[in-house]
Amino acid sequence: MLKFRLYYDKDAEQDWLAKMSNRGYAFKNYILGFYTFEECEPGKYLYQIDLLDDKADAYEEFCEFMKESGVEVVARWYRWVYLRKSASEGAFEMYTDNESKIDQYSRIRKFFSFFLVIETFGFFMEINAAIQTGKPLFWFFTLLIGTIALAFLRITWKCSWKIEQLRRD
Amino acid sequence: MYENTPLTEAIYYILLSVRKPNHGYGIIQEVSEITGNRVTLGPGTLYGAINTLLAKGWIKLFSEDKESRKKKEYVITKGGREVFDNEVKRLNELVNNAKLMEGE
Repeated sequence: MLKFRLYYDKDAEQDWLAKMSNRGYAFKNYILGFYTFEECEPGKYLYQIDLLDDKADAYEEFCEFMKESGVEVVARWYRWVYLRKSASEGAFEMYTDNESKIDQYSRIRKFFSFFLVIETFGFFMEINAAIQTGKPLFWFFTLLIGTIALAFLRITWKCSWKIEQLRRD
Repeated sequence: MYENTPLTEAIYYILLSVRKPNHGYGIIQEVSEITGNRVTLGPGTLYGAINTLLAKGWIKLFSEDKESRKKKEYVITKGGREVFDNEVKRLNELVNNAKLMEGE
């Protein structure tokens, strides 16, 4: 089964994969918004999504470590990885203490901050072009890039909020 | 002397679990076992902690045989042992001082 979804919040995406698994669809692969699923016993797998370091050799090392720890790396997209474990092996949480949860949200915030800067820059370029030329196409891109920038702004805020909550614990 | 303490529970128990060479999965299991499942290490938490500990030189790779299928093992270093002992000293002080409460 193939489904199209656009997620920028890994917590929401993770919840969706869990829901799909409970309905008997095990997530298999991700490419540009397209999720592939195959049928499984309902609730067979537990999923977690993580963002890797930006070091070049991070992926190989990470995969090897996860495999040795009994975790399957199902799919990878850029620096994002999808991990799973059989539900029969008990709870599956990648990060179990506040320090490492804060590290993860800091990584995610940094990732989206970078793209937020680029999108914001793009937004002002497009709005400038739209005003200068008055062409509808530029207004369309202004709107599109503006929407993306707002989504990225929202997720960086959400990460900051999560980090603040975890620090207070 | 106490500059590296207090340690987080995760770091404390990981250092303890690599007193003898141990691999990732072994560390997760041992920590669950000796704490009666109170402390469970997520694989992501462990991965991050191991990289931090390697960078600090508190643990080192014990074996990395690329040829064989053997899992990577880690073991505590002299520096790591020192940090651990200092933490135990600090914890003992806490527990000893707790006796003051009993006198009340």
